[in-house]
Order: sequence, then C-alpha cells, then structure tokens
Amino acid sequence: MNRTRLIFFAVVILALVIVGISFLVQQLSGNIPSPTAQPIQVRIVCALPVEPWVQDAAQKFNAEKHTQDGRTIVVTVTPMDSVTALGKWDRGEFDPVPTVWIPDSRYLVELVNATYSAKLGRDVFLTDGEYRARPLVTSLFSWGIYQSRYDKLVAKFGEVDWKAVHDAATAKGGWPDLGGQSAWGYFKLIVPNPRKNAAGLLAMVSAAGEYYDKTTISTEDVTNPQFQKWLKELMDSVTDFSSLSSYTVEDLGLFGYSVGDGGQLLESDLLVNMQGIQTRWVEPLHIVYPKYLTWFDFPFTPWMGPETSASEKNAALQFEKFLLSTPIQSDAAARGFRPANTQVSISGSDSLFVKWKNQGAEAIVTRTARMHSPDRDTLQALLRWFDLNVAK
Amino acid sequence: MRNQRNPAFNLANGCALFAVLAVVLGMAAILCGIITVASVVRTPAGTPAPTQASIDLAYSPEKDALMQDIVARFNKSNFKTPSGLPMKINATKMDAGDMVEAARAGKFTAVSPDSSLWLAQIDAGRDTPLVGESTRFAVTPVVVAMWSDVAQSLGYPQKPIGWQDLLTQVKNDPNFKWSHPSSTTASGLLATLAEFYAGAGKTRNLTEDDLQNRATLDYVAALEKTVRYYGEGEQATIDQVLAKGRGYLDAFVVSERMVIYFNGKSSQKLVAIYPAEGTLWQDHPLALLEQPGLTDAQRLTYRRFRDFLLSSEIQKLVLQSGYRPVDLNMRLDDPASPIAKANGVDPAQPQTTLQMPSAAILDKVQSSWYLSKRPANIYLVVDTSGSMADQDKLKQAQDALSTFLDQVQGDRDRVGLVPFATTVYGVMPPKEIGAQRATLKNQVGRLAANGRTALLDAVSFAYDDLQQRNERDRINALVVMTDGVENASSIGLNELTQKVKRGNQSGVPVVIFCIGYGSDADFDVLNALANATGGFARRADPETIQKLYKTMSTYF
Repeated sequence: MNRTRLIFFAVVILALVIVGISFLVQQLSGNIPSPTAQPIQVRIVCALPVEPWVQDAAQKFNAEKHTQDGRTIVVTVTPMDSVTALGKWDRGEFDPVPTVWIPDSRYLVELVNATYSAKLGRDVFLTDGEYRARPLVTSLFSWGIYQSRYDKLVAKFGEVDWKAVHDAATAKGGWPDLGGQSAWGYFKLIVPNPRKNAAGLLAMVSAAGEYYDKTTISTEDVTNPQFQKWLKELMDSVTDFSSLSSYTVEDLGLFGYSVGDGGQLLESDLLVNMQGIQTRWVEPLHIVYPKYLTWFDFPFTPWMGPETSASEKNAALQFEKFLLSTPIQSDAAARGFRPANTQVSISGSDSLFVKWKNQGAEAIVTRTARMHSPDRDTLQALLRWFDLNVAK
Repeated sequence: MRNQRNPAFNLANGCALFAVLAVVLGMAAILCGIITVASVVRTPAGTPAPTQASIDLAYSPEKDALMQDIVARFNKSNFKTPSGLPMKINATKMDAGDMVEAARAGKFTAVSPDSSLWLAQIDAGRDTPLVGESTRFAVTPVVVAMWSDVAQSLGYPQKPIGWQDLLTQVKNDPNFKWSHPSSTTASGLLATLAEFYAGAGKTRNLTEDDLQNRATLDYVAALEKTVRYYGEGEQATIDQVLAKGRGYLDAFVVSERMVIYFNGKSSQKLVAIYPAEGTLWQDHPLALLEQPGLTDAQRLTYRRFRDFLLSSEIQKLVLQSGYRPVDLNMRLDDPASPIAKANGVDPAQPQTTLQMPSAAILDKVQSSWYLSKRPANIYLVVDTSGSMADQDKLKQAQDALSTFLDQVQGDRDRVGLVPFATTVYGVMPPKEIGAQRATLKNQVGRLAANGRTALLDAVSFAYDDLQQRNERDRINALVVMTDGVENASSIGLNELTQKVKRGNQSGVPVVIFCIGYGSDADFDVLNALANATGGFARRADPETIQKLYKTMSTYF
C-alpha cells in the first residue's frame, strides 16, 4: 500500500470515527432528542375563567403521551385575560404565536378576524371547517346578590334588573332608603374593569340592552348622552376598578358585602364560589337570570397563520377532542360550566346547578332572549367612554 | 529497475503517518466534544438554557414572621424545575417606598407589598408594565385599634363608631392620643383617604374638587392636628404600644391582624373598630415582575411558590397569623380561628368599604395630606465629637442627614440643626424645610469631627428651644444621634429627664428619638431620654444609619 492510499484510508477512517463518536456521545448524553423525536408543542393562550380546567386537562393529556405523526404532543397553557390577548393579537405582540387561543367568547375571535382581514385580506381564525372555532363550555351571566340585600331589592322593586340596580345605586340615602340597614352604607355594585376583564364589557352591553329594551345595540345607542349619564350613575356605585382579581366573584368572596352587594357575574364563578362565600360571610348569594341573556362560550380557536404547521394544528385538534370528551366535560360541569358535550348532564344530584337551586340556580334557564354581540365600533365606543368617564 | 524501498525509510514514514493520524484523531475528538457540549447546553429551540431558577422577593415588614416561615418551608421542600434546577426564594423585608424604587430599578423578580396599591405605583409612568402575574394570599381590613374601655366610652359595641366620632373625641379631650402611619404606607394612605371621604361627607366619588374644597381640607387638618405623630408602619406602632402600654396611644390605625397580634401578647386588650363610614382592605398581593432576563425557570419557581402560598398548609398558617386566608373554605368562625370577638375583632365586619378612587385621585390625596397633616418642629441633634472621624462615621452620618432632609416633604414642617462636640455650636433654628433645605444640607456637609461629647447639654438646649416656641399644634421632636459616651455636659441625666418629664406635662409635649451610632454609643442614656418622652432609641452603624434616618422621617 503506497503512502497516498494510506493517507486516503486514514482520512476515511477519521471521518467515520468523527461521525461515530458524535453519534455515540449524543445518544449517551440523552439530553437532546433527534429532531424527528422532538415533541410537538401546542401552546394555548387561555381565558382566565376556564384556565384551571384547561390546565388540569392539559396535565392529564400530557401524561397520556398522545402523539401526532410519531411525535409526542406537549400542551402548555398560558392564562391571559381575553381583553389583554385581544390587544396582543391586534398589535402582533405574541412571540411565539400561540397555536390555539381560547378566549371568553366567540365575539372576541370575530374582533381579531376583523383586524387581520383589514391587514391581510383574510381571516386568521376560521368559523367553519375542521379548524373552526368550537365552543368548549358555556357560562351565562347572572346576577349574584347577597341574600339579605336581594330580599330588600325585591321588596322595593319587585325584581332585580339593571333598572332596579340603577335606582338602588342612586338612592341618596343609601340602603336605609331601600329598606336595608344603615350599616350597609350605599348600594355597591360589582363590575369588573372592562380594560382588564371582558366580563366588564359584557356587563355594560347587558345594561345597555335593558336600558333600551332590545337585544341589539349600536354605536348610536351607546353614545347617546342620556344613556351615558345613566351608565355613569350605575358605574359610580362600583367600589374598586383597580382590583387585582381576575374573577370578580373572588372579590365578592374575599371582601364580602363590604365591597359589593352584588353584580352581574359569570354563573360558573358564582356556583363554584357559592359554598366558600357562605362559609366566609355566613350568608349565601342569590342568583337571578337577567331578561336578556349574555354568555361566554370559550371557543377553542387554532391560529391559521403560517407560524402554525399542519402537525401542530392536528395536534391541537387532538387536544380539542380530549377537552370535549365525556370525562373532561364532566370535570367542567363540576366546576359550574355548561358542557358543550350534550352527553354530560348538569341535572344530576351532584350538580352545582341542583345544589344551589334554592338560591336561584337553573340547569335549564327559562329566559331565552339572547343579547347579540355588538360590532367592533360599538364595543370600542363603550371602552372609550369607560376610559374617559370612569377610569380617569 | 525496481525501486527498492529502504526499510528504515518505511518505518520512519509509518511512524510519521501514525503521528499525523493520532494528531488528526485527537483534534477530531476535541472538535466532536466541542460540538456535543455546544449542543447539550442549548435548548431544542436554540436559546441558551436557563441557569437561574431562584426568585428574589421583597415583602412588606409587618408580615415578616409569617413570610420567613413560609419561605423557609418552601426552600426546605426542595422543589425543582423540570430541568432539575432548584427552586429557591431569597426573601428581603422592605417597606413600600423602597420596594417600589427597588422594583423599578430591576432589583427584584417578585414583590409582596401589603396592598396592591403599590403595584400600580411600580408601573406608574411605564410604557410596558413591569408587574406581571399576580395573586393574593391573605387579606385583612384596616381598622382603628382602641383600648376596650376607650371604645366602650364611645358606645362600642352597641353603637357603630366612625371617623366623625373619633374627631369629636379628640376635640373634646385634648389629652386623647391617636396616630396613623405616614401616607407612605398602605394603612396610612388608607386612613388619610378615609379622612378625606369623611371630610367631604362622602363614601364614593371623591373628586379633585373635594380635595381642594376648603371645608374638606379644614376637616382633615383638624383631625390631623390631633395626631401624636406618624410612623414607619404598623408593626413599629404595635411594638411601641406593647413596650410602653396604654399611655403611649389611645387609638391608632392598623390592620385587623395587628389587633389580634397585640392581644395575643398583652394582658391589656385592644378592640378593632371598623369605621361606620366604611374602611379599606390590605390585600397582600404576590406579583411577578417582568424584569429583563427573567427566565422561564424563574417563572416556574414563581408559579410553584404561588401555588404553595395558596396550599392548605400555608393558608392555615395565614389564618393562625391573624390574616383572613384567601381560601374561602377555611372557616373564620372555627374554634381555632383567631378572627374572633375574644381577640377584639369581628369576622362579620366590615359591613361596608369606601370606594377606591383612581390612581390620579390617590396621588392628589397624598399631596393634599402633606398640606393638611400636622406640621412638625424638628431639631436634628448631631454628635460631631472626635470619635465620629473613625470608620468614616461622620461621612455616612452626613449622607444620612441629607436623606432625612430630602424625605421631609411637608412644606410647613420646620427643621433645625444642633451640632455638638465639647459644646453646642453652629445652631440653625427650625425653619420651613422648603426654604431651608439647601442651607441645612450645606451646613451638614461642613460638619467636622473634633472634641468631646456634650450630648446632654445639646439635648437640653434643643428641648428648651422647642418649649419656648410653645407651638402646640405642631409635632415637636428631637432626633438625637451620638456615637459615644457623654463626657462634657454641665447637666446630668437625671436632671435632664426630670426637666423633660415636667416640661412635657406642663408645656409642649416634645418627643425625643435617639440613634445610638456604632458600638460605643451609650444606649442606656439614649433609652432614658427617649423613654422620658414616649420616643424610642435605636442602634445604627455606618451601613444602616441612612436607612434609620429615612425611617425616622416617616414620623413627621
């Protein structure tokens, strides 16, 4: 063998050794999976009311090691209020872009689509087809009022609605004028800050509906000075818009009737906190369903932009299916939500709806008039009004 | 002719080849190692691996014992991130003002002040919020703590007592002593807000016009005029009341939890008055700060700690400490619960709260308080004896005095200076701080260490001057600092303390606060002077003197 050949073989052997050592070291290190074995990440930005439920479901799902195209699916859930998320979508601030958004309501999805349609000429969330936004659970907005205060309001006004609450809020002498005790002070309304919590925006929409006695409100309606004066009087009875709480029912529970006699709040939050509130304040809440119903439907909404691969979308769909499965939907029902899966009942003896029936909870709500989602301009007008007149 | 190879040449050639091969293989192995190591220390996404999972947490002083216990339990639990990094909390006690400042300067990754009011201040004026995820783990209402017989004389428990009743009481009884902390603390700010509401005759919709209304300002000023002095916070107030008994104060604003704490340690009993017009709550948030460089591992540690705070084990601890836990299923009326009438508090209270105004109105409340609060006459009595030259003590003291002068914000507050060594010299009589701040700072900067220590003569001089001024509507106080032992005065300690006690009874009450600076300071003498007037003495060294002077400034 001449010297040239020797060198040639040496180089070949050397190359093989390098590849071999690299392979061995990487395998032995065990830290770095090969690219094909990397898990598929499904990153979910999730509305706060359902986040604990989705988070628990994600843990179960991850533990079961579901796969897509031979790769393990890993679901991570980031809690974020829908109004905050809406702003991030609008400003393109998500980095990385979530695979899925679970907002409070479908109308928020439509608002993001409206923004992106103007920019890209197409929707970024689908409303039909395989990847469409699908509701996971529903929760109605209902009045939750401390029983002693509820009894006085009913005695005074006959029923509890936005007009009665407005009159209570503007009673000059406070509770003594309404038949209540002077120690209760003034009537105090609980409304979440609409800049921090979409429920606050929906409360204003609901109030507008009852003010005009109609289910569809427009920009013209919410910019009417008479209505704005009426709404301001209502909002002036809110004790704290700076609160930290993600869930306003938490305020009602932690600080009791001292900060709020009641408010129009998410039914699931009311049901799940009812026992705790009664334990803490030795008085239950009374639930009343409003004349015009509004609700959150928490749609599972995959992002259709180029940042999400087909594998990620399909992995997301697997998790969506998991969330809609009977055991996970039953878990949602135990947390006071109305399941999207119709096979899961909320009328059983262990249901929160049944448990709190005497406090006004209804598994089947007899009032069926639905408040329609206002368009983007109307919502923006309400938010602007809030910024200038209440939050300043 | 066939080329005959030289065996020696072949051997040499083979050896050379082997050597080349060995070198190349060695280099390849090194290269391979570098590649592998480089790939191991990078995450799959290509970003540097997190190396930091500990959280630096600042918390408010009044929950010191509770937080230390919680943090110790957490750190002992050996929680780890999925990548194996230990989750640790490094906790530092800090008052609200310093906490806000430090958070904005990037010094902490999480904060737990006594109220979420301070979170808004951390974010004030920032384009991007620093405060990220947050939760609450304990709440407690702000109350007026009173001795039970004092409360009964006002109609407790049959009649609801409000701010108006307190005002009537202090007007009718000039000897009635009450206080609330400075508005730089949550309970102080909440107390001030309550006064403005009461002055405006409202419990909601406080406006800028209300804050500028003469009648409202007069009401608040009348109430504030009766405040004995302010203070650094509720824990310090309670400690003073515990140490000095009921002669120290008749009523003071603290959280409900402090009433329970006091009643657990004293045979004398306080009761919590929940003002009839409404009160406010301390809500003890825990918030993550989105500081630049915050790692995912730190975020996980924050969440683990948050869950730990909300766990049943810690929520029980929270209740045992006298706070109301956020776990609503924990019964406040449980026989083991300290939130009980036997401890002077009522779990069914408060019945109503005041409306929390916007951040802009709160700012104006704070500014208006400086105009309405009880003004002060303060003498800074400063030791400049020769020993102050040691260990850079004088320089540190000068910086600390300068900080004190910056901290005194009320334009009507008057500050004077009494430097002393072998004798009192270079006295600057008290003048409105706004007009005198620069001159005072200049004078402080020119102090030089020399001579002996005429501490008692200096105190006597400053005390006499305040008595002669005879300004009863003001807080009259001496802030005395010395690093040594009295060795040059003409007046003795007994004579001086007797004079002070007599003077405080017949003339203007003057409070003496003392700082024993360094290990050689005669703390017994300082304690005697402070105790004779209801003040207190504290120790400091060159590292802590600045903070202590800053703390002292909250009393005025």
